[in-house]
Amino acid sequence: MKFDKLPKIRSLKRLEKYGLPIPQTLFIFNFDKQEKEIDEFLKGKKEVSIRSDKTDDSQFCPSIPRCPAGKAKSLCEKISKQGYVVILHEYFPLKKGRIACGHILTLKEHIVFELVDRGAVSRLDREGEVREIVRLRKKDLAETEHFGKRTAKRSALKKVALLVKNVPCFKILDFTLMENGPYFYQIQDDKTASRLS
Amino acid sequence: MAKRKVVLKGIIASPGRAQGRVRIVRSHKDLLKAGKKDIIVASFLLPDVCLAFRNNSRVAGIVTEKGGSTCHIAILAREFNIPYLAGARTATRRLRNNDLICLDAEQGVVYEI
Repeated sequence: MKFDKLPKIRSLKRLEKYGLPIPQTLFIFNFDKQEKEIDEFLKGKKEVSIRSDKTDDSQFCPSIPRCPAGKAKSLCEKISKQGYVVILHEYFPLKKGRIACGHILTLKEHIVFELVDRGAVSRLDREGEVREIVRLRKKDLAETEHFGKRTAKRSALKKVALLVKNVPCFKILDFTLMENGPYFYQIQDDKTASRLS
Repeated sequence: MAKRKVVLKGIIASPGRAQGRVRIVRSHKDLLKAGKKDIIVASFLLPDVCLAFRNNSRVAGIVTEKGGSTCHIAILAREFNIPYLAGARTATRRLRNNDLICLDAEQGVVYEI
């Protein structure tokens, strides 16, 4: 299966290519053939996140950010039968164990974190909620700018910055910082970011 | 030259400078009332509102109370070369319709004229 025309899957593959941690994930291309894999994935999990992807330019792809594992299989089947590729992720609670989430923008010489504290990262896009903005210099990871209230320890953010330091510039990454480390969900190109120094 | 008074500070989401009259936008209807070269001031804007900018090319600049440089609207503003200052927390309270302002999205401030 070619991933080029599946934007979300391509994005997750790119994150892996850059060595960035992604949540435990299963791509379901053919529900019937992958039933065993799905059972294996759901084993021992209380909840999962379901996303979907499609090869055409459809704007809407069904997603269930928090789904009980018991219902996941039937929902996967339903979405799969509608012609979507299903992306099954391990679920991370919005509050418990979550330190922050948000976007990371990679510039030529800087890394910019725009963070919402706990909750869904969609609050940033849909409601413009930004709790904290931190700009680090790539060279030495020194903080050059800070805006808002501190959500995460500097040391934790610097660890994340170390991971994304070598990601090419002008990319926006969606991530969640859990107590056990960061997880990345999406990477997008943003050529317009070249206008930001 | 007289020192200009800084009325707002924020995050540079799309660099540039613009001068114009304030148009407070609370709904899509308000946006339609915007005159040429107005500076849109809102709590936050979603990308569907931004499409109106492209269609009527009316907007000289944007100031919002929320948002940052990675929001959809910031990307659109950079694409259309519209100066945009995000995170100017009290913008809709400090500014009133028809106030004449200078948006300096190179320095991250709004001046009163």
